[in-house]
This record gives sequence, C-alpha cells and structure tokens, in this order.
Amino acid sequence: MTRVSLILATVLLSASAMPGASASEPKAVFDFYCSQCHGVNGDGKGPNVNADFATDPRNFTKKEEMMKLSDADIRNVILDGGPALSKSALMPPWSKTLTPDEVAGLVKVIREFCQCEGPS
Amino acid sequence: MKQALSILTVCFLAVHATLVMADPAAGKAVFDKAGCSDCHYTEGPAREKTIEDQLAKKGPELWYAGSKFQRPWLETWLSDPKNIRLLKFNTLDDENPGGHAALSAADATPVADFLMSLTSAEVESGVIKPKSHPKGKLLFKKKMPCSGCHQYVDRKKVLGGLSGPSLVGAGERLNPDWILAYLKNPTVFKPVRAMPVFAGIMSPKDMEFVSSYVATF
Repeated sequence: MTRVSLILATVLLSASAMPGASASEPKAVFDFYCSQCHGVNGDGKGPNVNADFATDPRNFTKKEEMMKLSDADIRNVILDGGPALSKSALMPPWSKTLTPDEVAGLVKVIREFCQCEGPS
Repeated sequence: MKQALSILTVCFLAVHATLVMADPAAGKAVFDKAGCSDCHYTEGPAREKTIEDQLAKKGPELWYAGSKFQRPWLETWLSDPKNIRLLKFNTLDDENPGGHAALSAADATPVADFLMSLTSAEVESGVIKPKSHPKGKLLFKKKMPCSGCHQYVDRKKVLGGLSGPSLVGAGERLNPDWILAYLKNPTVFKPVRAMPVFAGIMSPKDMEFVSSYVATF
C-alpha cells in the first residue's frame, strides 16, 4: 500500500512538472483578462467601469439576456471584440492573445455565471 | 564660425563627460543594496509563462527599462515616485496605496544610469515622433479599447479605466519608440499581460498613429 502511494505521488508530481500542466484554470483566466471590466462575479462591475465608461459591460448573471446569446456569439465577441455583435469597441478582441482552449473555458465560465444555455 | 566651434566643443565635452561618468555597475550595486531587486528583475528575457507566474511578481520587470523610459523622467521618479498604476500591482480591487521606496538624489543618478543601460534590440530608435494625428486620436479613443483600461487627459479632464498603467504624462515617461515596439510585439516584453495582442488586428501604420498620439500625453 505504501509502495502504491509512493508510485502515485511520483506520478502526480511528474504530471505537475510537465509542460502544459501549468495551463491556468478557466476562472483564473477570466479573473485575469475579463474581470477588469466584467468583475470577478461576472456582474459587469469591474474596476474600469466608472461614470465616464462609454458602455455597460455585459452582466453575465442576467439569465434572460444571456439566454439570447449562443455559445458561438459569446466566442465571437471574445475573439473579435464588441463590434462582432455590433457592441462597443471597448470590449477588446482577444483572438491573438488567448488560446482556443482558453476561449472555450471562458465560454463555460460565462455560462456558469448565468446558469443558462443559449438558444438551441 | 569660431563661436559655433566653441559651442560644439562644449556640447561634445558635456556629452562625453556624461558618458564617461555613467557607471551602470555602480548603479546596479545601489539598486541591489536598496532592495529594488526584491521586486523588479533586471535580466532579460522575460521569464513569465503563465498567469500564475505574472501574479507572483511583486513589481514590473525592468530588464528593458532603458528602452522604455525617458532618462529625465526616470531619474526624477526614482527620488520622488508617484503612482503610475491606480490599482495596486497585480490586483484589480485594491487602490494603489503609494509609498514606493524613494532613493536619495545621489543614489537616483547611478540607478538611472544602470536602468538606462538595460535596453532591448526589439525597440527601433527614431521611428515615432509625438504627434496628435486625428487618426491616432480616433483609434485610441473610439476604434480600439485603449481608454477602457488606461487613464489619459482629454480637454483637461482625466478619463479612462484603472486596470492598466495610467498614460497621463506618458509623453514624458515613455520612449515613443518603445510604445510602438510594445504594440507590435508585447509578448517579448510581457509574455502574460492583461492587455490584448493587437498585432494582426491593427495595421502597422495604425500602431504608429496610436504610438505618436500616446507620446503627446
């Protein structure tokens, strides 16, 4: 049993040292990039949003609004910025910054905020 | 002719004296002794690979400080530091309390010598001149999201978001050529940062317009 534990621990330690194993969790990605404007709770109340901010960043907790957006809509806005959905250019384009996996993770995080799915 | 030659000689001697007196190694010793290296690393290339690496940093990297900053601003700032970031480094919910360590004027000079010796080949000199071109203004304020995260002054009013470094006074602080180099290839300087990569989204010419405009701040 002790030997099994030792082998398991060795495998786990090796895995954590492998390249690629250090990819950040989707919520950490959200907090780092998106919460500047959308807030860590996804409510659109990030630190950049003041009286002069030219638009209201999307509140991801508004289920009825978020249900109207498909996952593809969300992904496109992340990749190409607000203008992809005829929204404000203050929403930046992240296509040259984030990996496809990170974008997919962000879509899931946003869906968790709204506890909803898009139109089928 | 004689007077012009005299002026030229004086200028040459002044520049020569400055170059001879600059001692980056002495500045590095002061930098380390003052504890600056506890928060700022000065040897490139950039080390961060993940968000966690970036968040573990206590302060901005300085390994390309000589390409990024303007010497007069840097030397003044070292002995009289003012907040550049509105929020505490690497946080989004804590106001920057200020209180960055200040050097004596005597120490600020050698440390500035040291930091200005740290340059990046990525920054091409003499490309960008400060200019408030309407296209640069339009891109910065309307077409691109720059103002969402960076403060700037517009008609004597401070506007813009808090999460990025303030660009108020950027014309005195930043080397205009570094602004362009950073827009063109930010990952060389900061592999993990909360600002998007715009290469492939903005044209090189538009990046020059924005850089020239920011350099007027």
